[in-house]
Amino acid sequence: MSDTLPGIEPDDLDGHTIEELSDYLDAGRSPADASIDASPGCQIALAALARLRSLSGAVLDAGASSEPAPDESWISGIVQNIGREARAGRSIPLSHPSPAASLALTEGSVRGLIRAAGEEAGGLVVGRCTLEGDVTTPGAPVAIQVEVSAYGDESIASAATRLRTAILGALQRHTELVVTAIDITVQDIHPAPSAGSEGAS
Amino acid sequence: MCFVRARGNGCWIIVVVEPRTRPDLSALDDRILAGRAADGDIPAFEVLVRRYGRLMRVYARRVLGSNADVDDVVQDAFIQAWQHLPSLEDLGSVKSWLMKIVARKGIDRLRARREHDDIDDHERPSPEAQSPHAVAEADSLEHALSIALAALPVEQARCWVLREIGGYSYLDIGRELDLPSSTVRGIIARARRNLIREMEGWR
Repeated sequence: MSDTLPGIEPDDLDGHTIEELSDYLDAGRSPADASIDASPGCQIALAALARLRSLSGAVLDAGASSEPAPDESWISGIVQNIGREARAGRSIPLSHPSPAASLALTEGSVRGLIRAAGEEAGGLVVGRCTLEGDVTTPGAPVAIQVEVSAYGDESIASAATRLRTAILGALQRHTELVVTAIDITVQDIHPAPSAGSEGAS
Repeated sequence: MCFVRARGNGCWIIVVVEPRTRPDLSALDDRILAGRAADGDIPAFEVLVRRYGRLMRVYARRVLGSNADVDDVVQDAFIQAWQHLPSLEDLGSVKSWLMKIVARKGIDRLRARREHDDIDDHERPSPEAQSPHAVAEADSLEHALSIALAALPVEQARCWVLREIGGYSYLDIGRELDLPSSTVRGIIARARRNLIREMEGWR
């Protein structure tokens, strides 16, 4: 490899520096600088800098592709740490025959029920769910908003109908929520699930 | 996972119900996974850890300048991400958000090292990619650049990734690394010049 490279050495830049040229590139070569634009050396350096910039976004991905897969014990270290704080959310009261007992579901558990209903219904995978309304007051109207990803060949409309029925059934079985609406938003359509695990993406 | 809280005579009973079937989460896009994780679904978060763990390691290594602390920094970043995911507005941007967090954690670690005055122990260049032929033998231009980046002096690589990947300004980098921004500008110019020169070897 040579120690000098035409176009990026100070002597080739007609009095300009790589710093200046980088700033010029950052500014979108505007306002135009005639002494840079007319200098062949600067043009070579600008082209090299632009090429470098176009690659920079992918450089970490390229490095990651030759990085060994994370150690399983390292992953379980993360999972154990985060598992200590479940996302309980609000407390959703349930009536109980004994006046001495008070019973409540966590909002997080209701979201879990909704995800599980999605698993049973099939065709759609549930993402974020939001319970809108005062769930802490018995009898208050509650609207459920669910983001989903669709998979498979089935029509999304029929899968959504099945999901809505499954969510409503699960909530009626396990909660006393007064559900006024279940809004399903399809965020993504992905390939049908396979037995494979996360690849080297 | 499903928690039911029951209280009778002051006692809480927590029942955990696991769903009977689990979908293949690894095929899902970031937004759905981040949404599930924001709602408390740990397996969905684990998919994100597997999907971006390596990328975050590479980034952390360039910010830290060596392998030391990389595992800890990325682990800390994921734990913080879990805590703050429910407030992430654009769940689809979870990848760039994770990258921001890991850069932040890396910089914090550098600051802590500086306070303990043991920075010299960590600043020795890592032995990776020192071969002059490695760049020429890379299988893609991006990979060649990745090798060239690993061979840069630590401070040049650190400033360059914070600028080009992290989107930090010269001023921000200077503030984070306790350097005048004019110095940062010079360091990044040298990094660019060195990278361009190294890349010539790939042709």
